[in-house]
Amino acid sequence: MARVRGLIVIAVLLMVGSAVALFAINYETRRIAGDVSRKEDALEKLRADIAVYKAERAHLSRPERIAPFARNLGLRPARQSQYQSPAGLLAGPDGRLGQGATP
Amino acid sequence: MRLVPRSSKRAQGATPVEARPVVVISPGLNHRARGRDQNGGQRKPRLRLRATLSLVAVGAGFMLIAGQLLRLASLHEDAPQAAISKPLATAFSRPDIVDRNGRLLANDVVIPSLYADPSVMLDIDEVAHELSAVIPSLSQAFIREAVQDRSRQFVWLKRGISPSTARAVHELGLPGLAFQYELKRAYPAGRLVGHTLGFVNVDNHGLAGIERFLDETNQTDPVYSPKLSHRKPVQLSLDLSVQHALHDVLGDAKRRYKAEAAAGVVIDVRTGEILAAVSTPGADPLVPQEAETPERADRLRSGVFELGSIFKLFTLADALERKAVTPDMSIDVTRPLVADGHVIRDPHPSPRPLTVSQVFTKSSNVGAGVLALSGGAAAQQAFLAKLGFDKPLRTEAGRGAFPQLPRRWNAIETVTVSYGHGLAVAPLQFAAAAVPIVNGGTRVPLTFFKRPAGWTNTGPRVVSRETVTAMRKMMRANVASKAGTGWRADVPGLDVGGKTGTAEIAVNGRYDPDAVISSFVGAFPMDEPRTLTLLSLFRPQPTRETGGKISAGVTAAPATARLIERIAPLLPTELLRKPAND
Repeated sequence: MARVRGLIVIAVLLMVGSAVALFAINYETRRIAGDVSRKEDALEKLRADIAVYKAERAHLSRPERIAPFARNLGLRPARQSQYQSPAGLLAGPDGRLGQGATP
Repeated sequence: MRLVPRSSKRAQGATPVEARPVVVISPGLNHRARGRDQNGGQRKPRLRLRATLSLVAVGAGFMLIAGQLLRLASLHEDAPQAAISKPLATAFSRPDIVDRNGRLLANDVVIPSLYADPSVMLDIDEVAHELSAVIPSLSQAFIREAVQDRSRQFVWLKRGISPSTARAVHELGLPGLAFQYELKRAYPAGRLVGHTLGFVNVDNHGLAGIERFLDETNQTDPVYSPKLSHRKPVQLSLDLSVQHALHDVLGDAKRRYKAEAAAGVVIDVRTGEILAAVSTPGADPLVPQEAETPERADRLRSGVFELGSIFKLFTLADALERKAVTPDMSIDVTRPLVADGHVIRDPHPSPRPLTVSQVFTKSSNVGAGVLALSGGAAAQQAFLAKLGFDKPLRTEAGRGAFPQLPRRWNAIETVTVSYGHGLAVAPLQFAAAAVPIVNGGTRVPLTFFKRPAGWTNTGPRVVSRETVTAMRKMMRANVASKAGTGWRADVPGLDVGGKTGTAEIAVNGRYDPDAVISSFVGAFPMDEPRTLTLLSLFRPQPTRETGGKISAGVTAAPATARLIERIAPLLPTELLRKPAND
């Protein structure tokens, strides 16, 4: 009998205890959920800011704007004559092989 | 539940059930029951009842806890949100669009939109006056009209304003003006890629071009708040640098030759990827009306034109493919050609018969007509259909214009079509048809999207390898030798080949020799072309530079040379394997 009563008391205590713990968890969960949603909002805001910066960067670096700056610096599109074959590199400007090359 | 019978069993073991009289007591009298139990051990049923009740209570408690646990466990991340009383527009979040190298062409940004709540406004005149001073595009009359109905609580005033304008409006401190944040499409490259990208409406829904394609293929998501898309960027085949170079060269050609408009395209002939597509003057994606005006329309895809002698590319390829001729065979072009009672003459008739190859390089209309007649109208129609001229060209940027083919297709139509008159096609469709002539003989679907690595073409074969080899030789000869019409398109070391085309424009039913479309279709390097270019200049005027001429050889051809020289270093380096002085 005493064992049954003891069991019941323990069960009741356990119940009360777990109820308290559960509500604590519940409140904690809600707090964390609120935290998460605030962080998500902040993240969305940051993504929106990044999107604006990306668009601005792309707008500022559009070729049409960069080209005049490059021209002012004396830069020109690469010309075909600036490319040389490996054989051409070995030969000097007059067509003879340079000193570093073995004939 | 099993606890109850177990405990009763135990009770039975201690004292047999039959030995005890049953006494029922109320559950409230616990102390008495306990007392009697201790006294005589006669109160087992009461104990059982008490135990059962307690266990039921505890069980119920645990059920509650379990229920709560389940609720917590199933609690979704998205807690219910507070409803907003303002009406919310359903918008679409769209993925970024980038070029083949990842440079941004379009993305969504979150920007404020101004709305009014007329029910809380104090002085409508003051609002109209001060607001139109900050946002000049809002007229006072418009504002008054919009906020007139005091029973309303929400009226859009201006959707999509800059953050600085929003700040200025906020600083007015007028009640009844507020902002809602919305998605808006940004196009950092402006007009440069406008025709291809198309545009979106105020709800960020694609209405034309690539933007429309994204909606049609479910690559956008409806959103109820300004949330940016989480999708991967859409990668186009366009190369912004090549696009800019093409735009630059076309702009320069337009100025040099005083042309009304210009259009051009650069295509990778192995994959069908469009590396650059420009119709200038361009259209701003943020101003959708622009693409609708005739002068800013996309001539590359949505306009059809008689493109002239560049069509001889197909006439010659057809004749060679039919094995009607070989490149060395002679054709008598010394006399005019008569077809259905019409007389076709060359502007500068050759005093001697020309070889098939020379018909191409000297661009003889009579020669092309003779070659076309050797096969007949049906063969010509079948070949053009094989090249895709039987239906409009479809790309991700939308359906191109319908090709206009002759209604009757007799001898005279066969002759005029052989040199590109009497049928009108969109320049992009012409370029698509020219691809198999240089790439080895197979059709490749044109695309504005970057092909995945390892993509292989499964398009049908249109012409044989031998025909392609012969065509490549002729195209190269047309540029390599000063006797060819296209020699000004040559770029030393790049092995450029191509064909000129000067098409007279029909004005009031008559061809006007002073109003032409000068085109050049080019490819390089000619031994195994990788890139195809097409430039068309609309109504160029004679200038001192061109010696008073407007033909493609002095306008579109040199412009092509400038284009190819400029873009070659931007393309895969294998194109530059030839040294400049070979």
